[in-house]
Amino acid sequence: MSELAKTPLFDEHVTAGGKIVPFAGFEMPVQYGAGALKEYTAVREGSAGIFDITHMGQVRVSGADALPFLQYVTTNDVSKLASGQVHYSALLNEAGTFIDDITTYKISDNEYYLCINAANRLKDVAHLQEQAAAFDVIISDESDDTTLLALQGAAAQSALQPLVDTDLETIGYYRFAQVKLSGIDAIISRTGYTGEDGFELYFPNAQAVDVWKQLLTNGADPIGLAARDMLRTEMGYALYGHEISDAVTPVEAKLMWITKLDKGDFIGKAAVEARKAAGPKQRLVAIKLTGRGIPREHYKVFADGTLSGEVTSGMFSPMAGGVALAYVKPEHATSGELSVEIRGKAVPAERTTLPFVRSNVRR
Amino acid sequence: MTIPADIKYTKDHEWVRIEGDTATFGISDHAQEALGDIVFVELPEIGRTIDAGEAYAVVESVKAVSDVYAPVAGEVIEVNEMLEGEPEKVNTDAYGSGWIARVKISGEASLELMSDDEYTTFLEE
Repeated sequence: MSELAKTPLFDEHVTAGGKIVPFAGFEMPVQYGAGALKEYTAVREGSAGIFDITHMGQVRVSGADALPFLQYVTTNDVSKLASGQVHYSALLNEAGTFIDDITTYKISDNEYYLCINAANRLKDVAHLQEQAAAFDVIISDESDDTTLLALQGAAAQSALQPLVDTDLETIGYYRFAQVKLSGIDAIISRTGYTGEDGFELYFPNAQAVDVWKQLLTNGADPIGLAARDMLRTEMGYALYGHEISDAVTPVEAKLMWITKLDKGDFIGKAAVEARKAAGPKQRLVAIKLTGRGIPREHYKVFADGTLSGEVTSGMFSPMAGGVALAYVKPEHATSGELSVEIRGKAVPAERTTLPFVRSNVRR
Repeated sequence: MTIPADIKYTKDHEWVRIEGDTATFGISDHAQEALGDIVFVELPEIGRTIDAGEAYAVVESVKAVSDVYAPVAGEVIEVNEMLEGEPEKVNTDAYGSGWIARVKISGEASLELMSDDEYTTFLEE
């Protein structure tokens, strides 16, 4: 295995009591001294949590063909984006299955910024460069130079505002601004992966420690990967390698809302249309255990006593109990008595709606 | 981290307090600290016969599921039902209210048990 990378904030994580684990090729904090539950609670109950997610990748797409290129390689309708707007989207292969899920930022008609998953970065960049050959675009992988922090929770805005030259109140949900953050150029979007109000901050590595320390001074609590996963799972947000992968299409993953079949041709469109017409092979459902236990990834899901599928993400939610996202046979998305097998025993479960707990994002 | 002197420890970081023919089981402070926040404990059934070294309970932290092994053999006579509602007691009071089960000792079967000093040395190695 190749050597693990460190973000510019590695020493800060250690100083803050971070328990470091390998994650997507990086040495990242899974939790800090207070523990994952306290970190989770801080974000859900009014604090501001700061997450180092610098492991994620950033790709700038610029050139005269930036729009037609992104219309062709991503699933969402990029023509609907205004400058300063972000949307959730995906890269599919010709089979209609996921290469990655991404966010697309429109900077101007000829310039866009993509945020991609760390584990998929090299694959994504290679794919984008290969596809770019037929378009007048330049693909720049800026991942190694860019620090990405998420600041999430009800107090996020008040913790961040003193560092920024722009009134954050003017940045709406899934909107962004190019601002001065502590005097340096940054992209700040009102986005996140927690279900709380908050921001994601993209800026050069050289300022990482300075910005991190200022945010801690302004009351933010450092949050590790374990609490981040709790927060995202409670919202039912998909995670690559769990709910989405190169084995499923947007039809199965309930992501047709970011897959715009009416926008013109794009990679994977024909396969998605075919899958939609034929019907999905499995369907993603949100379930809640009615018996005791914690559903975990890969636990088997049964419907009326027969094997139907498996859990893709599961957790103990302090607010909702044992909850999970799971793939089941299409007919069991709506009918049949569900159960999750935990250590050989069938624990009854019921279907529920997402999010598992109330979202507080500012729409 | 604390290591009380009146109980014995196993290499798997369980503890056992033997009083006459009964033994009380739990996991050590070191174990709870390594696991992190405990959010679920699966207790054994009363009356179950367990061998020394057998997995008799499960503790789950936010991210991990871990078996808990019996330091000595016996029949389960009592379980700490409080852990069903307050699993965090394993974190906050590992040797007290965070106990997991009590058995009536049967036979001589036992894992290798260490004194507090031996366990301290074991943890340092």
